[in-house]
Amino acid sequence: MSSPVIVDRVTKRFAGHTAVDTLSLTVPSGIIYGLLGPNGAGKTTTLRMIMDIYEPDSGTVRLFDQVGGGRTHSARIGYLPEERGLYPKMRVLDVLVFLAEAKGVPRRVAREQSISWLDRLGLADWRLRKVSDLSKGMQQKVQFISTILHDPDLVILDEPFSGLDPVNSQVLRDTVLEYRRRGKTVLFSTHIMEHAEKLCDRLCIIARGKKLIDGTLAEVKSTHGGKHVIVAFDGSQGSAQQIFADRRLVAKIQDFGQQAELELAAGADAQEILRALVTSGARLARFELASPSLHKIFVDLVGPDAATAVATGGNGGAHA
Amino acid sequence: MRKVWAVIRREFVERVRTKWFWVSAILGPVLFAGIIVFQIMQSIGGAVRNIAVVDSTTNDFGTQVVEALATSRLIRATRVPAGPHVVDSLTRLVEQKELNGFLIVSNALPETGKAEYRASNLSLQTIEELQRALSRLVVKVRLEGKGVNPAVVDWAQDMRITLDQKKIARGKTTSESAGQSFFTAYAMAILLFMAILLYGVNVMSSVLEEKTTRIIEVLVSSLRPFQLMLGKVVGAGAVSFFQFVIWGVSARLLISLRVPIARFLGADASQAQGITLPHIPFATIAVFMAFFLGGFLLYSAMFAAVGAMSSNEQEARQAQQPVTYLLMISYLSIIGLTNDPSSTFAKTLSLVPFTSPIATPVRWTAGSMATTELVASLVLLGLAIVGVTWVASRIYRVGILMTGKRPTMKELVRWVRTA
Repeated sequence: MSSPVIVDRVTKRFAGHTAVDTLSLTVPSGIIYGLLGPNGAGKTTTLRMIMDIYEPDSGTVRLFDQVGGGRTHSARIGYLPEERGLYPKMRVLDVLVFLAEAKGVPRRVAREQSISWLDRLGLADWRLRKVSDLSKGMQQKVQFISTILHDPDLVILDEPFSGLDPVNSQVLRDTVLEYRRRGKTVLFSTHIMEHAEKLCDRLCIIARGKKLIDGTLAEVKSTHGGKHVIVAFDGSQGSAQQIFADRRLVAKIQDFGQQAELELAAGADAQEILRALVTSGARLARFELASPSLHKIFVDLVGPDAATAVATGGNGGAHA
Repeated sequence: MRKVWAVIRREFVERVRTKWFWVSAILGPVLFAGIIVFQIMQSIGGAVRNIAVVDSTTNDFGTQVVEALATSRLIRATRVPAGPHVVDSLTRLVEQKELNGFLIVSNALPETGKAEYRASNLSLQTIEELQRALSRLVVKVRLEGKGVNPAVVDWAQDMRITLDQKKIARGKTTSESAGQSFFTAYAMAILLFMAILLYGVNVMSSVLEEKTTRIIEVLVSSLRPFQLMLGKVVGAGAVSFFQFVIWGVSARLLISLRVPIARFLGADASQAQGITLPHIPFATIAVFMAFFLGGFLLYSAMFAAVGAMSSNEQEARQAQQPVTYLLMISYLSIIGLTNDPSSTFAKTLSLVPFTSPIATPVRWTAGSMATTELVASLVLLGLAIVGVTWVASRIYRVGILMTGKRPTMKELVRWVRTA
């Protein structure tokens, strides 16, 4: 199987710190690949090196099994940067045509595709309006059209869901899934594990510029974390806190209030916890033996500091 | 190359679509039409001046003055005999605007050549007319006093001198007058300065726009930064060229319509015929265009770098100052250049690449520049363009992706070295 993206031991340093440190990753064809990491992990820098926006200090990027990064192959790649922007004073249709032409798409094709996509996303009446006249949600759609209107073989999305309204989030998810169905490749970065868990076939978690783990979702889950239990309460929690604090039963806990994710201590039996909870008077909505969530694995891997960063959200990782 | 073409096209179309392009495209010809109308109005001439001739002579000299002035189109003269309160009452009439002014002549005039004219508005035209009429009369009277036949005097004076001015420039003699040549050089210098500054700043704000809207990231992933900068500079240059064409064509059109315009304004059509554009030889136009192009490339590369190293309008305004000052040097030298285009000062300015885009066309137009000097100036400018563009494109390449504080001089040097 060919690999649309091969990143081979790339390193990028900025004044004073190393943003990406001998990172290698391979994205196989026809899948959705997630690049995960906390803010400042080097996700954006990595994608920018793939896109030829930054030159790596060392290491190489190969796209479609050929030397050269995103610029060489711009007509085959759709790139949605983390910080989005359009020309506010240009007409919607003109922006789309120009951005496609800049990628090397012939003008006529760019025009046809732009019109057809604007129709499809309900922006047909807006194509001669200025970008600045559009609502934020509409601008997101235009930006999204500009990423994919040339029907790229590889789509690279940097934090695609950040700032999207629910409708556009759904449009994006549908399109990503449709792309995979058609045998195309999607590489996206995110620090929100729920998105990754729902979409990714393969993933790679990085922190401080270094790779921590990569593989298929199942591989990552099986190599990391032991037996997990998800507990959800329905009203009274009984003396759940004492039971969870018992280190003979529970090794680690992620407490979300009405729900908790437990990692069992070695040799502990989940049934024993269930029995103790019921006896203590807790009312349970859910008690499930599960593989660890990606979020749990992520927090385990990158450490509590990074976990705080994830919880506070925001978009980081852009270094200048 | 197709990608660069897309950038050029976008830059051109978006600029030409703005209000400001058309405002200045129309303002140019309007200004030009204004000048034509002004000239025609002038030829219609201010209204005829009503003046009184206060005659304190004891012979018929005062009457002769009135007769001499009667031939003038500009002046209607009435004789008033001198009296005790005449000057006071005439002064009052002038103040009440019933009279434009009065001329006082006495017996002494043919001897001393002195007369007096008092008016509320000492218009140059009227004074010249009075002087001309009086001196003709005085010469006539003096000659007749020595016994010369009046008919001979009239015959001798009935001759007008026309001085045909020719300019010798680069081995050719042209009929360009000194005034025209000065005017052409001056107008060119101003035009060059304005165009380079305005369109250079356009390049800067266009770079800045892409930076602040963050669209730059998508662009740089599709095009090499140099391609982007090239497209921008060429696009903005094409807009200014287009502007020049609009101005040139409308100037030609207005000139060809000068007779109908004059008729419309009720002026003498034959007078309007006399209004022409200064004749500009093709070589001059070629030099002008070549140095405009060179100057524009040189400065807009610098302006592009300024835009790239700034992250907002205020920063850019500050950072552009050194570049603007560099251009101001030529602007401030325009008068010096046009007054003495062959001075060492002018020669130096026409060789230094940062001033030559303005200085060389001025010197060339004034006709004081050898072809070897022109070639040297062009070569130096060409070298400077290559060098400056090389440095600017490196600053541009790093700068466009930077956000946050403006780089220091030291950082800029590092960008140039490592980019």
